[in-house]
Amino acid sequence: MIINPVLLKEIKVKMRSWKAVGIIGGYLFVLAAVALFITYANSVDMYSSTINPQFSIGAYTGIAVIQFILILFIAPALTAGAVAGERERQTLDLLLCTNLAPRSIVIGKLLASMSHILILIIASVPMFSIVFLYGGISIVEISQLFGFYIVTAIMAGSIGIFFSTYVKRTIAATVLTYALGIFMCFGTIFIAVFYLRIFYNFDYQNYFPLFYINPLAGFSSLLTEQFGGQYGGILNMIPGLYMVNNGATKGMAPWLINTYVNIAISVIMLFLAAMKINPVRGSLFSFLKKR
Amino acid sequence: MLEIRNLHKKYGRFNAVNDLNLSIKEGEIFGFVGPNGAGKSTTMKIICGLLPATSGEVSVDGVDALRHNNKIKEKIGYMPDFFGVYDDLKVDEYLDFYASIYKIKEANKRKTISDLLELVDLGHKRDAYVDNLSRGMKQRLCLARSLIHNPRLLILDEPASGLDPRARVEMKAILKNLKDMGKTILISSHILSELAEMCTSIGVIDNGKIVISGTVSEIMQQIYSKKLIKIKVNDKLEEAVLILKEFPFIEKITTGENLIQAGFDGGDEDMSRVLNALVTRAIPVATFAQLDGNLEDVFMKVTKGGEER
Ligand SMILES: Nc1ncnc2c1ncn2[C@@H]1O[C@H](COP(=O)(O)OP(=O)(O)O)[C@@H](O)[C@H]1O
Ligand SMILES: [Mg+2]
Repeated sequence: MIINPVLLKEIKVKMRSWKAVGIIGGYLFVLAAVALFITYANSVDMYSSTINPQFSIGAYTGIAVIQFILILFIAPALTAGAVAGERERQTLDLLLCTNLAPRSIVIGKLLASMSHILILIIASVPMFSIVFLYGGISIVEISQLFGFYIVTAIMAGSIGIFFSTYVKRTIAATVLTYALGIFMCFGTIFIAVFYLRIFYNFDYQNYFPLFYINPLAGFSSLLTEQFGGQYGGILNMIPGLYMVNNGATKGMAPWLINTYVNIAISVIMLFLAAMKINPVRGSLFSFLKKR
Repeated sequence: MLEIRNLHKKYGRFNAVNDLNLSIKEGEIFGFVGPNGAGKSTTMKIICGLLPATSGEVSVDGVDALRHNNKIKEKIGYMPDFFGVYDDLKVDEYLDFYASIYKIKEANKRKTISDLLELVDLGHKRDAYVDNLSRGMKQRLCLARSLIHNPRLLILDEPASGLDPRARVEMKAILKNLKDMGKTILISSHILSELAEMCTSIGVIDNGKIVISGTVSEIMQQIYSKKLIKIKVNDKLEEAVLILKEFPFIEKITTGENLIQAGFDGGDEDMSRVLNALVTRAIPVATFAQLDGNLEDVFMKVTKGGEER
């Protein structure tokens, strides 16, 4: 298999720049600060050899939440300029006149950004391993968490790529990506509150379907499943945000459905993006044929 | 090699390319000349699959370029009129990137890149960042990029525009080399004389239509069915004009300071008779020459600008 040339070039260029070092450094600094804060807040003696699951779950949750929010912020920023930037720099035509398939351009751009996210996640591993040493957290939970990070990053990144191809300027693409992100994270909550209040008067005993596109909801569901309802308390004030432990949902855990929905959104966004940058795209059918 | 039939391109209601026909044979250097906004870039982008045509046919090396544009991309090397470079790549990394897009084998890559850098005279800039190159160097690098997959057809959109005279000369030398390598080239410019010496054929485009096309000499003949002669005398201008008027094949005599220009519709013998007549009647002839029609004049004549003159 030949590695996507766009991916290869982007990695080479990105890893060479001080910006990459800066982002990783700043990122780790924020995570470390959070970990320290939690340590003090729990007033746990870090040097005692006693196993303290209570502390480790607290630290795990803290780091996990902060990292998730950072990823949600960073992923769109990395991709929103991916194609629009090529257009602005007048390099897009030079790519499109080669025999590189439009979908390779789109996927190469996405993977390049994802490799960046992956580095951030890997950089945080030492912190998780400290938490891990305190016990109470298993490798399964950390794997689920990292998996959810990556799928969410791909989803956010794909939306960035989508706007990057449909809008000419990087700035506009970035704004639109964050706008849609804010809608997915908070707009859906507003809709849920108003809709459920009016029609169900808080008596809705299920996961509100719109929350399947809400990364925050999916993430809460994941953490709640991992550690029982103890962090679900405040979230349960939002109607329709029922976690698996509440027993309201049957079958698949909500965060798992969120994961599948994220994958579906990514595929659709990338498909539309690849179609859009193909300058001589014909019908949908001819595009399928080319694949 | 390249065949365009009844090509139309509309931007909204505006006809940028209007029933354009063009045929370029293998090994030809075809000069695509027309004023700004004539539709040169639009046509070239359509050929390269960067813009959908409204209607018409384009075939490259026998392949329908509009329907199977992924098949012709290997055959075409394209250099746009405006382009950018990645600011954080070095010259050889830049070419390496495009080489990997075309899946050029690692073993051949080094040599291909070296050869190309040699060809465009950028061998000494291998390790320089692309962004720091001068305009002329970037232009040459972009030309090297368009050659990386050894395409048979080159489409160069105003490769010499915006270059200083020295860089222009360098660019021309490279193009001559490419011509010798047997590439088929479609090259555009809004300045005819820039292309005339190096092209085998020329097509003049105006308002999205080919106004006239053919080999350089064919075009000259089509426009000047008659030759022009230019005579410079040191004295006796009026007398010389009177003598010229005696010949039936000389017409449209115009004069300047010690200078006579006239249409001439005869053979070489007639020409010597005229000179003989002038000299025997003691006209001090300083120069006596047949003019090759001025290419810029041709250009102005066939495009709109000429109508005003
Ligand atoms: N994207 C576009 N939308 C609308 N009009 C365009 C567009 N691109 C080019 N044109 C118009 O089409 C005409 C031909 O442009 P172009 O092919 O760039 O000319 P040339 O390369 O010969 O200078 C011009 O009048 C230009 O204004
Ligand atoms: Mg142009």
